[in-house]
Amino acid sequence: MTQETVNNDATETEAPVTHVAPGPHLGGGCLTARWMMLDVLIGLLPVLLVSLWVFGWYAARVLAICVGSCVVAEGIFTAMRRRQCRLGDFSAVVTGVILAFSLPGTAPWYVAVIGSFAAIGIGKLAFGGLGQNIFNPAMVGRAFVMIAFTSAMAAGGYVASEKAGVPDALTQATPMTALQQEGKVASLGDLFWGDTNGSLGETSAFACLLGGLYLLIRRTAAWQIPLGVLLAVGIIAGGQNLMDLQAKWTVGHHLMGGALLFGALFIATDPVTSPLTGRGRWIFGLGIGAIVMLLRSLSAYPEGVMFAVLLMNAVVPLINRWTVPRPVGGPVPSKA
Amino acid sequence: MAKDGPTPLERFINGILPENPVYRQLLGMCPTLAVTGNMKAAMTMSGAVLFVLFCANIITSLIRHLLKPHLRILVFTLTIATFVTIADRFLAAYMYEMSKELGPYIPLIIVNCVIICRCEVCASKQGVIAAGADAIGQSIGFALALASIASVREILGEGSWFAMRVMPEAWPAWAIMILPPGAFITLGLLLGGANWFGMSRSAKTAA
Amino acid sequence: MKRTGSRCGGYIGQAWLVLAMALLFGAVLAGAHIALQPRIDENKLDETYGQVPHLVRVAIGETGRFLSADRSRTETWETPGGKIAYKAFAADGRHLGWVIKAVGDGFADKIELLIGLDKRAEIITGLYVLAQKETPGLGNKIAGRKWKGKVWADQFTGRRTDVPLEETKAVPTKANQIEAITGATISSNSVCGIVNNAVGEFRDKMGTLKKKD
Repeated sequence: MTQETVNNDATETEAPVTHVAPGPHLGGGCLTARWMMLDVLIGLLPVLLVSLWVFGWYAARVLAICVGSCVVAEGIFTAMRRRQCRLGDFSAVVTGVILAFSLPGTAPWYVAVIGSFAAIGIGKLAFGGLGQNIFNPAMVGRAFVMIAFTSAMAAGGYVASEKAGVPDALTQATPMTALQQEGKVASLGDLFWGDTNGSLGETSAFACLLGGLYLLIRRTAAWQIPLGVLLAVGIIAGGQNLMDLQAKWTVGHHLMGGALLFGALFIATDPVTSPLTGRGRWIFGLGIGAIVMLLRSLSAYPEGVMFAVLLMNAVVPLINRWTVPRPVGGPVPSKA
Repeated sequence: MAKDGPTPLERFINGILPENPVYRQLLGMCPTLAVTGNMKAAMTMSGAVLFVLFCANIITSLIRHLLKPHLRILVFTLTIATFVTIADRFLAAYMYEMSKELGPYIPLIIVNCVIICRCEVCASKQGVIAAGADAIGQSIGFALALASIASVREILGEGSWFAMRVMPEAWPAWAIMILPPGAFITLGLLLGGANWFGMSRSAKTAA
Repeated sequence: MKRTGSRCGGYIGQAWLVLAMALLFGAVLAGAHIALQPRIDENKLDETYGQVPHLVRVAIGETGRFLSADRSRTETWETPGGKIAYKAFAADGRHLGWVIKAVGDGFADKIELLIGLDKRAEIITGLYVLAQKETPGLGNKIAGRKWKGKVWADQFTGRRTDVPLEETKAVPTKANQIEAITGATISSNSVCGIVNNAVGEFRDKMGTLKKKD
């Protein structure tokens, strides 16, 4: 994928150059990493606009704290490791934005700051920096604060008390919580346009699809992963739906509710922590979808995208090993 | 009489930092991760380990000429198990609350590799004085390691140290630090820090 | 390793040290047991008697006034089967309720519970986990203030004893449902089962209780 991006700019006069370099392709290519990160930021624009529209000042506050802390953390930790500071590749900014979008608008400032430092420090630089991390840094940060500050991140943490200046959305329970605890079902329209409570980036299915489509067209995100996630959720939720036709929480709700679309399009598609081959990406996507449905249906948590992504991140090396492509002309015959 | 080996003083000093059981030998990880949620539990555990290690080392050193190579581990375990049981009963009798909090981890000292390692490496080869000094040095090293982890976890996780409030009231308790993931993260970061420190020091001496 | 004498002598020759140490240590442990066990039993009894007032507090709706850990206000009664029940009295001599001891299998080892009941054994007035060795971080949340910042066992307070309690993984909707601890379904279920059994048995045998001296 990185090669393609470079080749896009090849002019007609020059013969097409195929970049060939021995793997791993992790260290070099600052330019390409930077372009991909910029693409992700552009893809996140619609999500940003919707979250500003729904949560207003609350969204801006969390976003600013997360991005700022991530950049500072990246600076501090790379300096500690005496590495060249690579803030220019925007990866810290992307981590900050995705982390902010996965937090509730009511998150206290220390949750955002500690989450950012955990994301960059434990999630990324402890493994050796961009390209070396096993787990999605933003999700590591979120998991850290979710366990550390249960009250701020659990169902109750999402809801702000009603007073002037608080956006309407923030005073309701999130759709997933309302379903699990009271059996209330949000309308599909609300879930599609995003006029509900929830993590800052997850509320609007429309914005996620729009931004995600841009990433898929730019090939910054691998199409197999989101498709695999949606397919697995569609099949499992569809099966549940068929068994209980009266159920009010339908396949559509499952697909558009919670962080599913945001996770499938922006989090799971992180090229560093997803498999390298097409077949591997299918397995990865289907696995995430299946775990999400498992957690949503059977666990005490209302939503499971974060855990699903982290769990599947852990098996990516294994998937890569299973799906080593066959060399052209068949496997090398073993010496008899 | 004793084979050539480090002197008692060297044994004592080595145990504290240069051969720290947790940070250098990576032994005894089970209590290191499990009972470092607060300082009290960590220090009680260190005390129990000191008692067991000291007694086991002395006994092993005394009978080292009678040991048969293929039965030695059996004898070590027998000795250690006896003193662990005594420590466990003693805690239940005189520190009942702490004994309940530590639960199965006191009996689990029996399989703590630090102790069997010291019996094997030092006490079964050296005299009583060296074995005793070794036990005390290693126990102090173990206690220091546990204290460092427990301090981080208790201060961040509960805002207190030895159950005394040290952080302002507004301090949000980091529940994760009290939970098992906090133990792994703290140990990993401190271990990394210890290695980093060690590396930069050896680089300086080399230069 | 030279083999001397008969085959039997060979074994003894190999193992005499282990055998001698086993005997010696066995004697030491026996001594330690004789010296320490009374104190340990005393500690457990202290804990039991200390909990009795708290476990029957809800039954009277009064907090603290008549309550103290004074042992003279707790009588020990016994069923014909040898099960112990503590009869708790207020300072003015009124019978407040019963505290029964229940033991059953948990996930890892036996779980010992103290269950507080009102004087007709119709309502559970408290639950205290006396001893458990459940998985640290998961099952051991049945004891202490480690479950969502609350005492998990407090859920049992106020439940009726005529319907068996059951555990649920979701938020409880029925009066007899207890919310299970995430990741520790077996431990939670065990506690429910132990409470059901013990309370049922106590209700059946209430008439046959005898005071123990």
